Amino acid sequence: MIRGYAGRVLDVDLAGRTFAFRPLDEETARLYLGGKGYGTRLLYDMTPAGIDPLGPANPLIFATGPLNGSVAPQSNRFAVVCKSPLTGGIGNAACGGSFAYGLKRAGVDVLVIRNQSASPVRLEIDGDRSQVAFIDASDLWGRGTGETQAVLGRKKHHAVIGPAGEHLVLFAGIVSDERIAARTGVGAVMGSKRLKAVTAGGSRKLEMDDPQAFKDYTKRLGAMFRRHPVLGDRLKRVGTSGIVSTTNPRNILPTRNFKYGHHPDALNVSGEYMADHALTGVKSSCIHCPVTCGRDVEIDGAGRVKGPEYETVALLGTNLDLPDLKRVSEWNHLADDLGMDTISLGAVIGFAMELREEGLFDAGVRFGDPSGVTDLVKDIAYRRGAGADLADGVRRMSEKYGGRRFAMHVKGLELSAYDPRGSYAQGVEYATSNRGGCHVQGASMYMESTGPLTIDPHSLRLKADLPVVMQNLACAINAMVLCIFTTYGMLPRFIHELSPHSRRHRALTAIVEHSGPLLRLVSGAKLAPLLWYEKWLTSITGERFTSGRLQEIGARIFNLERMYNLREGLTAADDTLPDRLLHEPTFPGMTSGHPLHLLLPRYYALRGWDRAGVPTSRTLKRLQVRV
Amino acid sequence: MSVTVELTYEMSKALGARRFEVEGAATVGDVVRATRERFGERAADFERLTRLAAVAVNGVLVTHRRGLRTAVADGDRVMFVQASAGG
Repeated sequence: MIRGYAGRVLDVDLAGRTFAFRPLDEETARLYLGGKGYGTRLLYDMTPAGIDPLGPANPLIFATGPLNGSVAPQSNRFAVVCKSPLTGGIGNAACGGSFAYGLKRAGVDVLVIRNQSASPVRLEIDGDRSQVAFIDASDLWGRGTGETQAVLGRKKHHAVIGPAGEHLVLFAGIVSDERIAARTGVGAVMGSKRLKAVTAGGSRKLEMDDPQAFKDYTKRLGAMFRRHPVLGDRLKRVGTSGIVSTTNPRNILPTRNFKYGHHPDALNVSGEYMADHALTGVKSSCIHCPVTCGRDVEIDGAGRVKGPEYETVALLGTNLDLPDLKRVSEWNHLADDLGMDTISLGAVIGFAMELREEGLFDAGVRFGDPSGVTDLVKDIAYRRGAGADLADGVRRMSEKYGGRRFAMHVKGLELSAYDPRGSYAQGVEYATSNRGGCHVQGASMYMESTGPLTIDPHSLRLKADLPVVMQNLACAINAMVLCIFTTYGMLPRFIHELSPHSRRHRALTAIVEHSGPLLRLVSGAKLAPLLWYEKWLTSITGERFTSGRLQEIGARIFNLERMYNLREGLTAADDTLPDRLLHEPTFPGMTSGHPLHLLLPRYYALRGWDRAGVPTSRTLKRLQVRV
Repeated sequence: MSVTVELTYEMSKALGARRFEVEGAATVGDVVRATRERFGERAADFERLTRLAAVAVNGVLVTHRRGLRTAVADGDRVMFVQASAGG
């Protein structure tokens, strides 16, 4: 077995209450690494097209990667893969917390959950004895994610769902500690199996090819991360909510269901405001993470709890015209405990508010008014009243009540908090992302709009090239499985310390804007390990990794996801953005919205796809994607 | 002619205001100078807080236009931008 892997896939059948440990397939691990890569390969091979995402035929796959179980910074994540009940296409989500660590200590690389239990059940995986206990979970059914984990024991490593998952809310997530695998409705799939929780543990240690090289490099890198302006300073001081201070003045902060990109009181939900007014402490919610981006805040009735992240303060704050940190913190805590994705939650409530303005549907909430929101969040989780409609997400709401023009989703997944009208590369990424409107399947906006570079977000240069490279890298990161924040380190400290008005900054920006071919050349090079990803993988697995090999693995995963979606009936017509973003300008001088039609043909060509957005047989052969 | 200036959080704290109006400015440079004047004797604070800040007019960074020579018009929103926040 390749080093870095436990070498085992645990296959659990909930209907028959049986389990089996099977060997990990080495060839698949070489081609797809692990995490969502290995998981997608399994899902594609295990299932035919057209299965019911909430039926027994949809497997729920938890997957770790070769870096999990090491002390590599931000290597505490696991991936969940299944068919998405929200989008009908590929579903996946990644999560921090400690469950990945527990799985790897149990000697399990991949956990496959098949079929459905007749009654609420939870699993306890004892890796040392290679046993799985099926335990009645009737006493836990209905409890929140916090209470469930408290009952199961804080010192163990769990993945649990809350009431939202139990009630099949299509954007329910799976929670580990205080983190959530939030997107695409993976929690609803777990709920459909009546699986309340999985607990994993053992004493297996990660075997590395060259532990000394790994240790030495990680030590040096840790020091670099600690000195880094974003990883070591800004995220520690103000967390991810500090991003408000960049997106609001750049007109890309969702406001009133993405009608605007700027809110005059946005600073009230910024990380800086949180640090001054609400922060009760800082702690790293994820093990082996030196960044400590987590914020703790105090809220009435619950005490000290995890504070909201950027996406949450935007979607549940300015997007609802409610930049009120206290209320956003309460709704964030409530959503976490109920087990829901706060991005989709904020988006669907914002959509409901605009439906009311347009006289199409009244869920009892309106922009700028907090009354009714708390009850609506609960009603969504329990599918009560209007909440039952909102629990199906924005796309289904728009199909039922109208308002498709301002239904802010891509492929059925609600958009995250970067308005692509001020971030063109991010728009291409949203439109082409296999899981839908998501920002962590590439994160081009960091290179384009929220990072230290100031390339012109309204120019077409680089806007088709950048998403390809970033999406491939993100696929590889989600296969290792690492936190996407590790990419922040790619832009070195000196760039962050240049004045945006200096000649050097402008020269650097001009070079980057014209670097499309160079970007592909450097990222595709197979000469030697370049970044930490390749160096870690090389020292752990003993195999030679380069940025080119990582790009190839990422492209392989991305194309397999694409083939999965095509098999499910998605087409190039689904590679689009909401009408509002395509046709309504938000910047002076804009005559329309995002120029996706000018960028998509080049993106397809760079991907090796035909004009219909289908990967050519040559592309699939080159990438060794078997379909 | 009047433009609205919006400050970063740290600048707001130092100045005790989130936004203010500037009359008679023709360019972004005029607006920046007017903002510096508001800091009065605390010019060093202004320099420290804006050293790494970009400036945007109605959401567009002036580095993509004519820099500090970018013209401003009545009703424009000029904002100091915290660079490098993450994402």
